[in-house]
Amino acid sequence: MMRQLVALTRRELLRIARNPQAIITSLMLPILYLLLFGQGFNFPYPSSDISGAPNYFSYFAAGMAGFVAVTATLFLGANVIFDRLFGVLKRNSATPASATSIFSSRLLAGSVQPIGLAFLVLGLAALLGHLGLAGLTVTASLGVVGAIEIVAAIIILSLMFASLFLAIGFSLQQPQTYFAVVNAINLPVLLTSAALYPFGRLPWWLKNIASYNPVTLAVEVIRLNLFAGSGSYYTYTAGVYLAGLGAWAVAMFVLAVLLARRALAPAK
Amino acid sequence: MTSTEAIQVTGLSKTYNQTVKAVDQIAFSVHPGEAFGFLGPNGAGKTTTVAMLTGLLRPTAGTAIVDGVDVFANPTLVKKKIGLVFQESTADSDLSGRENLELAAALFDVPRSETRARVDGLLERMQIGDAADRLTKTYSGGMRRRLELAVGIIHSPAVLFLDEPTLGLDPQGRAGFWRYVQELRKEHGMTVFLTTHYLDEADGICDRLAIIDHGHIVATGTPSELKDRVGGDVVTIRPAQPDPKVETVLAAVPGVLSVTPQDGAYRVKCPKGDALIPVLVEACYKAGFGLSGVSLKRPSLDEVFLEFTGREFREDEGASATDRAVRIGQVAQAFGRGRR
Ligand SMILES: Nc1ncnc2c1ncn2[C@@H]1O[C@H](COP(=O)(O)OP(=O)(O)OP(=O)(O)O)[C@@H](O)[C@H]1O
Ligand SMILES: [Mg+2]
Repeated sequence: MMRQLVALTRRELLRIARNPQAIITSLMLPILYLLLFGQGFNFPYPSSDISGAPNYFSYFAAGMAGFVAVTATLFLGANVIFDRLFGVLKRNSATPASATSIFSSRLLAGSVQPIGLAFLVLGLAALLGHLGLAGLTVTASLGVVGAIEIVAAIIILSLMFASLFLAIGFSLQQPQTYFAVVNAINLPVLLTSAALYPFGRLPWWLKNIASYNPVTLAVEVIRLNLFAGSGSYYTYTAGVYLAGLGAWAVAMFVLAVLLARRALAPAK
Repeated sequence: MTSTEAIQVTGLSKTYNQTVKAVDQIAFSVHPGEAFGFLGPNGAGKTTTVAMLTGLLRPTAGTAIVDGVDVFANPTLVKKKIGLVFQESTADSDLSGRENLELAAALFDVPRSETRARVDGLLERMQIGDAADRLTKTYSGGMRRRLELAVGIIHSPAVLFLDEPTLGLDPQGRAGFWRYVQELRKEHGMTVFLTTHYLDEADGICDRLAIIDHGHIVATGTPSELKDRVGGDVVTIRPAQPDPKVETVLAAVPGVLSVTPQDGAYRVKCPKGDALIPVLVEACYKAGFGLSGVSLKRPSLDEVFLEFTGREFREDEGASATDRAVRIGQVAQAFGRGRR
């Protein structure tokens, strides 16, 4: 079981490394948002509206670092569909490897790189400030615990969305359908999260929805650790947000394993 | 349920979507070490049968025991014991040939200490050593096929399933592929279950055959048993001048089973055509009839198929290799009575 999981994960990692377009593409949307949306909406909000961030762009940059976990796991489901089309899934099914290890290998391999990409987005956002544009300013002193919390938030969020996209990939047959479904999910996820909006300005109903959105939960952990004094604007500590995020990830993992097992079971 | 057979199938059926009867109540057994062939045209149900026997497809009814294990009760255990080469290419194109084999070795739990040697050995043997570290998306069709065979046998399976494994290979590639399979059988005593719609492959490779058509097994036996069931050889005699008396002369030759006229020639059915040709030719000359042609046709699986299904086999290759024409000149010279 362990050996199969390691071997399959290695295959997924090699495949991702050999097709870097998927990773590069996943950075395009967040970078575009940083260069256009973040610049255009960098209005002087009172810090109570933007959770104590020094300016809107810094607040927004933290949101994009979280959103990368969505865009960088999206291709995992597409990989499943193409592997089915090219017979790789069938070949795997003909081996003693369990459906759970076939699924988990894809989950593990796909949840690593979003961390690097999230820090790349934060680094780029900070760099923009030195190029005469609006840029990210970190006002808190980030300790080891804070860094670990940020990394944990991005990993858990990535695991959750990787599970979701894998679940969709294992359930669908056609690439076109997959991309249609995924597009129908992505924008609503972003627009019901606190990644873009000044949270303090939201109408009560959207605030309620956003409070449960997993992207919000991860982004709040990042903001709590990047902006000094932001704790006073939040109801909960980072641990609570991480726990909520964990619950999302576990629920999505269970659902995805069930769907993957059904997809890999002997055909009817 | 237990069985000493390598494969034991009873009442196996598959109906897709409650409408398409792809496989209908088939039963057969394959002895250990045997090469057993499933011969049938497109859509006969070959791939469906392989998918059921390898635990990839749930049957509608019936049982299958492979190497002592009930496939439908314990598919994972069966998968450990068998190898499978799919009809379509399934080599992982983002991996090199070596990585494909290493992955398969890990998935089938080949002892770590042996993996290296086995991978190297198979790469060498399948003649992909030079391309071992290239991504398989750069491989030719024949190389992919050989790699897929290597992947199928990396764990020394007790039973190897080959679903039309030589599809798309040139004649040389096909011959090479079967040479590897035969070597492996000799070395490991491996049982091979193969499907094909190449009659010559079925004839040359298989110890026993089942002919499958529209989901039914219409005949089972060794290739020569099946050919014997069709009847003997056919010698076609063409007289220089048409004359109905030729038929009487031929029918009187001892050993002739039947004579049927056909477009100015006569089809003589007999058990051993090659031995009878000189006798037939001599009888004609003695009766004063000159000949313009003699040919011998041994029964091929073509005729077997025709006999059991009432249809010609739709083969994508040229004429049957067992057809043999014997030129009158050679025969006449042997008798010292050339008419030239
Ligand atoms: N998933 C499926 N759903 C519905 N019908 C199917 C399915 N798979 C196969 N069939 C039908 O079942 C029949 C047998 O198909 P199968 O693939 O077993 O034939 P085959 O003997 O392997 O043919 P070929 O030589 O073309 O590979 C065909 O009529 C085919 O259309
Ligand atoms: Mg087939």
